[in-house]
Amino acid sequence: MKTFAITALLYFFSFASSALENKSFGTGANMDKLVAISTLLSSPNNYLDQEVTVAGTIVSVCSKRGCWMKLASDKKFQTLRIKVKDGDMVFPFNARGEKAFATGKLFPIKLSKAKAIEYFAHLAEEAKEEFDPSSITGEMTIYQLVPTGVTIEYQQS
Amino acid sequence: MKRTKRSNGFVRKLRALHRDIGYFCIGMTVVFSISGLAVNHIDDWNPNYQVDLSVKKISINKTQQNSADLDQLILQQLEITKKIKTNFWESESRYKLFLEKDTTVFLNFNQQQATIETVTPRPIIASFNKLHLNEVSQAWVYFSDFFAILLLFLAISALFMVKGKNSVWGIKGGWVVAGIIVPLAFLFI
Repeated sequence: MKTFAITALLYFFSFASSALENKSFGTGANMDKLVAISTLLSSPNNYLDQEVTVAGTIVSVCSKRGCWMKLASDKKFQTLRIKVKDGDMVFPFNARGEKAFATGKLFPIKLSKAKAIEYFAHLAEEAKEEFDPSSITGEMTIYQLVPTGVTIEYQQS
Repeated sequence: MKRTKRSNGFVRKLRALHRDIGYFCIGMTVVFSISGLAVNHIDDWNPNYQVDLSVKKISINKTQQNSADLDQLILQQLEITKKIKTNFWESESRYKLFLEKDTTVFLNFNQQQATIETVTPRPIIASFNKLHLNEVSQAWVYFSDFFAILLLFLAISALFMVKGKNSVWGIKGGWVVAGIIVPLAFLFI
């Protein structure tokens, strides 16, 4: 009886979060407000005060806290960072390669050259990626989406 | 005499309550203490996932990089048989291939190098961490508040569990004082 109870508990905790179904965070994404990431980033000022939904493949995720993820844009080499306060939503590290929808507001962050180097070096370190400081040539404004709802669509594998 | 009897009855009830609540708190204490250790050292290890990396050399020229068969060529050279989910060009020379079973191949064509990363969720501890960090429903937050109140009850009732020379009102009270001083001391270090 004791062995059965302990085995059942371990089994329960082992599989408590392993089901691969679509996952929603916060309010879930609002599919009526879809805007392409390339459109959003080509004229970000037009979208600053409104809620938008973006869609893309998850190409990077914060490995330890799951507090940000990068979505691939429809434009080559371009990504958009989806950032939440630690703990508000926890994006699964193993969701890379899946499609995500995120609804929220776009926020600009103005960075001096030194701050930009520091920021991108930190991101690269977190994502275990390479970073070349000479790729930053001056001050810059980056944009990130702070979501109220996210939906991740898992592929059946 | 009457007062002592009433007092003994109170202590007996308190002791029984302390014992039963203590038993009830075992599960929660195990969850919070193990995940507490795990997330306390988040900078030293990944508490939710086991990440396995292997680095291999590849030989893919510029023409092959632009061909439609690139993904198949990569899998062939790396002798991987997993199904492809999708891919992503990070820059002119950096490419990511996302495969089934939580596997990602990071390619650096300048260095002709591939890093294969396989991520495996840690089975039990990841569930504990999820509870500890309130990643489940709002009801869990209320239950955690209730657990905190129970711990407070255990701490206060512990003061009345033992009578005589080993009670906290004697020399053993030093342990209680030490337990208060230690966290206070960290505020000044």
